[in-house]
Amino acid sequence: MAVSERAILKSEIRWAWVVGGIVAVILGAILFAALSMGMNPPSNREFVDPKTLHLSSEFTEANLGTSVDPNGRIVARMITTQFEFVPNCIVLPADRDVTLRFASPDVIHGILITGTNVNTMVIPGYVAQVHTRLTKTGDLLMPCHEYCGLGHSQMLATVRVVPPEQFRPDSQGRVSCGDDR
Amino acid sequence: MATIAEPASAAPKRRRTAAATRELQTGRLVAAHVWVGVAAFAVACLLGVWQMWARSPIEAPYHTASNYFRSVTLHGISMAFVLTTFFIMGFGYYVAETALRRPLPGLKIAWGAFALGLAGTLMAALSVISGNASVLYTFYPPMTATAWFYIGLVLVVVASWAWCVLMIVAMREWKAANPGQAVPLAMFATVANAVMWLWTTLGVAAELLFQVIPAAIGWNGMVDVGLSRTLFSWTLHAIVYFWLFPSYIAFYTMFPRAAGGRLFSDTMGRLAFILFLLYSLPVGLHHLFMDPEHSNGFKFIQMFLTALVSVPTLLTIFTITASAEIAGRMRGGRGLFGWVRALPWDRPMVLATGLAFLMLFFGGGGGLINMSYGMNAMVHNTSWVTAHFHLIFGGTVVIMYFAIAYAIWPSITGRNFANMGLLRIQLWTWFVGMMVMTLPWHWTGLQGQWRRVAAFDYSDPMIAAWGPWVIVSLIGGILLAASALLFVYNLAILHRSGRPGARRTIDYAQAVHPPGRVPAALNGFGLWNWLVALLMLLAYGYPIAQFFIDPPPQAVIHRVAG
Amino acid sequence: MADEAYPADAHDYESEAEELERVDSAMRDTPRGALVVSGIAVALLMLGWLILYFFVFIPRGTVG
Repeated sequence: MAVSERAILKSEIRWAWVVGGIVAVILGAILFAALSMGMNPPSNREFVDPKTLHLSSEFTEANLGTSVDPNGRIVARMITTQFEFVPNCIVLPADRDVTLRFASPDVIHGILITGTNVNTMVIPGYVAQVHTRLTKTGDLLMPCHEYCGLGHSQMLATVRVVPPEQFRPDSQGRVSCGDDR
Repeated sequence: MATIAEPASAAPKRRRTAAATRELQTGRLVAAHVWVGVAAFAVACLLGVWQMWARSPIEAPYHTASNYFRSVTLHGISMAFVLTTFFIMGFGYYVAETALRRPLPGLKIAWGAFALGLAGTLMAALSVISGNASVLYTFYPPMTATAWFYIGLVLVVVASWAWCVLMIVAMREWKAANPGQAVPLAMFATVANAVMWLWTTLGVAAELLFQVIPAAIGWNGMVDVGLSRTLFSWTLHAIVYFWLFPSYIAFYTMFPRAAGGRLFSDTMGRLAFILFLLYSLPVGLHHLFMDPEHSNGFKFIQMFLTALVSVPTLLTIFTITASAEIAGRMRGGRGLFGWVRALPWDRPMVLATGLAFLMLFFGGGGGLINMSYGMNAMVHNTSWVTAHFHLIFGGTVVIMYFAIAYAIWPSITGRNFANMGLLRIQLWTWFVGMMVMTLPWHWTGLQGQWRRVAAFDYSDPMIAAWGPWVIVSLIGGILLAASALLFVYNLAILHRSGRPGARRTIDYAQAVHPPGRVPAALNGFGLWNWLVALLMLLAYGYPIAQFFIDPPPQAVIHRVAG
Repeated sequence: MADEAYPADAHDYESEAEELERVDSAMRDTPRGALVVSGIAVALLMLGWLILYFFVFIPRGTVG
């Protein structure tokens, strides 16, 4: 009983169904996370001119750090620049929706917060934005994770995640790490 | 019985053909290419070990940030551009002569391209060594190196374009001389790679010629960073398949023969190579999942296409496993698993294929996580990714480069290996080293250990906890470097000693049903090129056009050149 | 057995007829084993993916 080429191709097709099933399961789980939990990549086509970053209203020095706006939205703004974060420490509450906004006046940077899903590239020309809800408290590391020059390795910031009741904005709605900067 | 016997006897008789004693016309050409690649590879391995040492808690000599990023840049371009391009070109010339069994058209052009590529390599390498090009192999504009660096790399690409044309011409001439015949699978795949590479390089060529080189020369003071990243992403995924093609060619056309069996299906091989051509290209945006400049819609489309590029790999795994099963059963293996043990694991090609599959399992598994859209945030730019591509490239790809070199070297030097033990030790140490190096990287990467760092501050308790794992991977790296040097020794020794009398050609694997006539669609790329164009228009049309429709603010050039 | 000759002219079987006969008998059981082996590999792969999805990715909090 010889095996015909047709039989061989039939077994390949049977295998292709297995492969198709796996791909479908993965795509299904990804779609579920995207649609039901809003787990998407941090896409944000919002321009900001790197040359006038410090002069534009949002990323001037006084606006940097964590603030609670009149609608109660918690936003942390940072400038990523060779080779530091400004400010180099931010305070965020756990279990609350927060928005992180970054901009670069010089080269490409990128950030992640260790042990979380917070991750974005910071591309000069754009505001990088991540919405998240942090699940654990403590001082987390936020390094620059993209090569930005010889000082790249020293470019680190701290994210201080506090329990919601310890997150107390001042009269201007601002919260800072205090002694750090 | 009959169905198998007939096509086999119709195929050219390979047994008892008079041993080819005439030197391969391309022998020196192939050896020259492989040696340039191997030299770059050996240097890059040693640099890699030093880099891991520098990042570990153990103090390393010459450890400055400037030296570190010089080293990373040199490691990256040596591995990704020099080893690969030269090895692939050399192997392509070899396949063209031995699979088509006719002289290579344009031997002089091939030597010219070799010289051009070598000059470009030296130009780029000197730029990096002098400290004027520490921009890593992915460039990162608005950071800008000396123009010589980029021009050197362009010359390497131009040399590879000459190779692409020679491969296409060689296949076309063979088809003209053998009308209606199926192009031998090894050559069909080589030309698929050449065609894919021509498409692949368009992205990086546009980035370098229109954005980066004008900036490096000083004509431009500004650069659109989003556009340059998008153009580079066009190249960045398919380039990996360019590197991977020789490994797959070995899986399909060399492994079944080395195992003493048959290829399960020639048709599936053709299909897999066509699917690689189609789906390697319109997926590069998955490298930009964490970038702000592209919409979630296009990221999702390219994620979907990326899921499809796993299909030819998963099909290959099945076809090659089935081919192994044939060989194992022919050697007396029984039952569901007995055939695995019956395989001749002492042969380098068989051993390398098995180890390549194991590394593909871990590397591919990591890749599935990376491509998973929002889930990419969990691992982007962490050691997880470094582990992934070291397993795929340094693992599956490079171990098959070893096996290919071992398989073709006797026909190039005219000598057979006297001691296969050294070959096996080399392959095993490479595998063990790679696993020991990369498994801890997955672990530290998941905890957030970030990439491209010259040194870690181990006084931080969290980073201190990674220390032991970093040392374990350094041990893996040392094994890898030792294995790399043994590889150089194994190749070099055959030029001087070994047992003379090796045949000056090789035989490729036969399929269970050797192809007689195949449909035109499985014997050329005309149709598929149109489909590639269509897919690229769909996947990259708007993502590139948006930079011209609604131009974002540009970034100021930052020169790293001293 | 073919070590010395590998890879250029390794012939594992006495004659072409014998080789073809062995191919034929091997094909009787192929690809049952391959289906099982690659099936197990792919199932493990799937399992690994699901573990990371449910036990690392989702618990680390929403992001987008």
